[in-house]
Amino acid sequence: MAPNSRSPISGPGQAAAGPYVEVRDLCFAYAGGAPVLRGLSLEVARGRFVGLLGPNGSGKTTLLRILLRLLEPASGEVRIAGIRPADYPAGALARRVAYVPQGTSSVLAFTVLETVLMGRSPHTGALGFEGAGDWHAAREALRLTDTERFAERSLEDLSGGERQRVIIARALAQEPDLILLDEPTAFLDIKHQQAIHRLLVRLRDEKGMTVLCVSHDLNLASAYADDVVLIAGGQVVAAGTPAEVLRTDILETVYETRVRIEFDEASGRPYVLPRPEE
Amino acid sequence: MRVAGLALLGLALGCSEPEPASPAGPGTPGGERPLRILSLTPNITEILFAMGLGDKVVGRSTCCNEPPEARALPVVGDTLHMNLNQVIALKPTLAFMITGREEVARGLESRGVRTVMLESDTLPEMFDSIRIIGRETGREDAAGSLVARIETDLAAVRRRVAGLARRRVLFAFPMTVGSARIMVAGRGTFVDALLEVAGAENAYPDRANWPTVSPQKVIAAAPDVILVHAVGDEGAPDRLEAIRRAWAEWTSIPAVAAGRVHILTEPYLTIPGPRVGLAAERLAETIHPQLQERSP
Amino acid sequence: MTLQPLSARRYACTVLFWLALWLLVAAAALVLGARVWVWESSAQLGDALRDALYGVATASVVGGALALAGLAFQALLRNPLASPYILGVSGGASLGVILSSLFVSVLLQPIFGFLGALVTVGTVYTIAQRRGRLEPYTLLLSGVILNAFYAALIMLTMSLVKPETRGDIAYWMMGNVSRFDLQWGLVGLVAVLAVGAAVVFAFLAKGFNLIAVGEETAGALGVRVDRVRHVTFVVASLVTGAAVALTGPIGFVGLIVPHLLRMLLGPDHRRLVPASFFFGATFLVLANLATGLLEGAVAPFPPPPVGVLTAMCGGPFFVYLLRTRWRRTAEVQ
Repeated sequence: MAPNSRSPISGPGQAAAGPYVEVRDLCFAYAGGAPVLRGLSLEVARGRFVGLLGPNGSGKTTLLRILLRLLEPASGEVRIAGIRPADYPAGALARRVAYVPQGTSSVLAFTVLETVLMGRSPHTGALGFEGAGDWHAAREALRLTDTERFAERSLEDLSGGERQRVIIARALAQEPDLILLDEPTAFLDIKHQQAIHRLLVRLRDEKGMTVLCVSHDLNLASAYADDVVLIAGGQVVAAGTPAEVLRTDILETVYETRVRIEFDEASGRPYVLPRPEE
Repeated sequence: MRVAGLALLGLALGCSEPEPASPAGPGTPGGERPLRILSLTPNITEILFAMGLGDKVVGRSTCCNEPPEARALPVVGDTLHMNLNQVIALKPTLAFMITGREEVARGLESRGVRTVMLESDTLPEMFDSIRIIGRETGREDAAGSLVARIETDLAAVRRRVAGLARRRVLFAFPMTVGSARIMVAGRGTFVDALLEVAGAENAYPDRANWPTVSPQKVIAAAPDVILVHAVGDEGAPDRLEAIRRAWAEWTSIPAVAAGRVHILTEPYLTIPGPRVGLAAERLAETIHPQLQERSP
Repeated sequence: MTLQPLSARRYACTVLFWLALWLLVAAAALVLGARVWVWESSAQLGDALRDALYGVATASVVGGALALAGLAFQALLRNPLASPYILGVSGGASLGVILSSLFVSVLLQPIFGFLGALVTVGTVYTIAQRRGRLEPYTLLLSGVILNAFYAALIMLTMSLVKPETRGDIAYWMMGNVSRFDLQWGLVGLVAVLAVGAAVVFAFLAKGFNLIAVGEETAGALGVRVDRVRHVTFVVASLVTGAAVALTGPIGFVGLIVPHLLRMLLGPDHRRLVPASFFFGATFLVLANLATGLLEGAVAPFPPPPVGVLTAMCGGPFFVYLLRTRWRRTAEVQ
């Protein structure tokens, strides 16, 4: 699969709507630095769970930031639901797109409930009053992430896994159509890693959410995502189902290391195994 | 002058009695050594010149600007910043200064200069200071006649105001930056004594030297006349206007309601020296305007 | 208190509570400050009430202004120990007042004080901005620079003037509410700015909460972080500058009041903004009343400036904070 070509990732029921996220020839460099994104093109259909993979420094987090309008692209087209991020009126983008960042450091000690209610801020008015609807959405988010019992506790009193679930609850409280996650399970044990990925699949199934999840964990992406996109050097190197992308030749070129691929008997999904040097 | 006022405030909080002059030390008159006097306080300089000792004064402080003849004398700084070696170069034999700066006195004494510390915060103390100067310089006669002259001046003013209604007077100083509180002359100060001579009663109710007061204190004191002493830079037009505006707020004060807030700019009003008679007269004429019509 | 979300009704209750508290304290301060039972004539009572009213009005607007500015700077700089004076505005306003009194006209003190504040705002912005953005660290550094600069200039001025003027300057820098020459105009200006700031920060409160959690998180939730920072910086600096031009730099109000309220109400800025405004006013009115009541208490000493009282509260308060181990950062893994 040639890099730079537009790689449509389709799935069932996608045909009429057009891609939900559309990126074309995106270029970006941080001030005074080398280019991070060099003509990246990608499309994500509505209701798909897509894993964004790639080596360190390949531009994955930068791509998320551009989608969230936290950064301005140097050139190229970016559209979410057909509209450019910059063209969304104030707060409207946040009503559609939610973000689960890699880690947060708060200077103030908010409770879990306060944190999740912050997810409602794109929906509350100028003064930030919360109504019954906001209350309901927050409760629902807590339920989905199984964090209801922590509601009154301070966020910093929780373990890493619990905190991450709360942050996801905050994103859910936004009632988004698209949820962007940046390494959501980086420091979690396998139990919590699986719990969160199962939750993301549920969200896709129950709410029709589009999920874009940046990860270093190739196998988790392979196990749960519908499609994966492999990004290297600021461009899309491969995109498609896990089996299409996670191949020895592609991975060894991109990651510059030897790997071994095995397949799960039941699902047919590939697993990437390390190859200690002979 | 403000300097005198605040210096007096400082010493008033410290000592209560003038330093007794010790019996005759080196430099006693009629003796071998000539008299070379260092005067470090404005009122003492005036007293020395009034006693005819002006030619014996070899050095003065920065603030000793009166009488005009004194301005020609070399300046050695003031009690806060003095170059002792520069002082010694003038070879003084006797130094007069205000109380409260013992280390300066010790410095001078250790270099062989007899130093006498004098306080003049009340009229009796001022007269005592004149007598002490007379004793130290061997000019008791000159001291005696100066005291008598001053007493005559004061008596003359008392006569002029005899029979006039005693007014309640507040003697105030302006502040430079902001005006949260205003310093006034309390009971017992020599300004207070001058007010008494001038046929007035100090409106500040308590005995205290140079207290600061709030607006409500002044309202309670209800003076008939307010005298504001603004000297030098403080007499600039914008400052005078600020003083007027500040007082004009408080119309329940009788002095304000009757338009009896007077700004006086003569420096000698707060110098306890030979010109207190003049000061008393000026105060009297301001407090009792009818006097001005009578005088030639 | 976090059991319920913040609806419009609860918000109104919060505002009304703190407003009522302030009104109560202000009324008491008016009566006690004017010592209404002492006067014989109604003219004297009228003047005493005017004096007390000026004190209550000034203390209210300055207390409210400083508390709001303190809260805003703590949010802006992501530092709960920030004070309204941290960016040098108080130095600029103080220098303006001092120089105006000494060299221009004592009548123009308030104008020059405010001008000094404006100049500082412009200077800090010019130094601190990077490609049009204001980052907490560069703002803090610019503030340190300007504070050092102003302290040096004020010291220079004090060293050049007569000793008694030096004393007057030092006294003004302690912070005073009451005056002989009532500056109703400047009180009005500070009132307008303080109320304006309260309204602006009420609308920015949501943003403050989110920015405290994280800049990226806030941006992703729809907060225009740069715009919030710019507006906060300008509004908080202006209201601080006007307050300092009026009373001199009264310390610790902007630091203690937000802290106290955070301990009481939690970190939600939507509650903290109106509470800080009214409780800051209440706090300073009480402090000013205390100085009035100290009149004559320790003869022959005059009561200290209100800034001295607030400073004396500062030390013990922070000892208490230290003892209750104020918790700050939460690293989310």
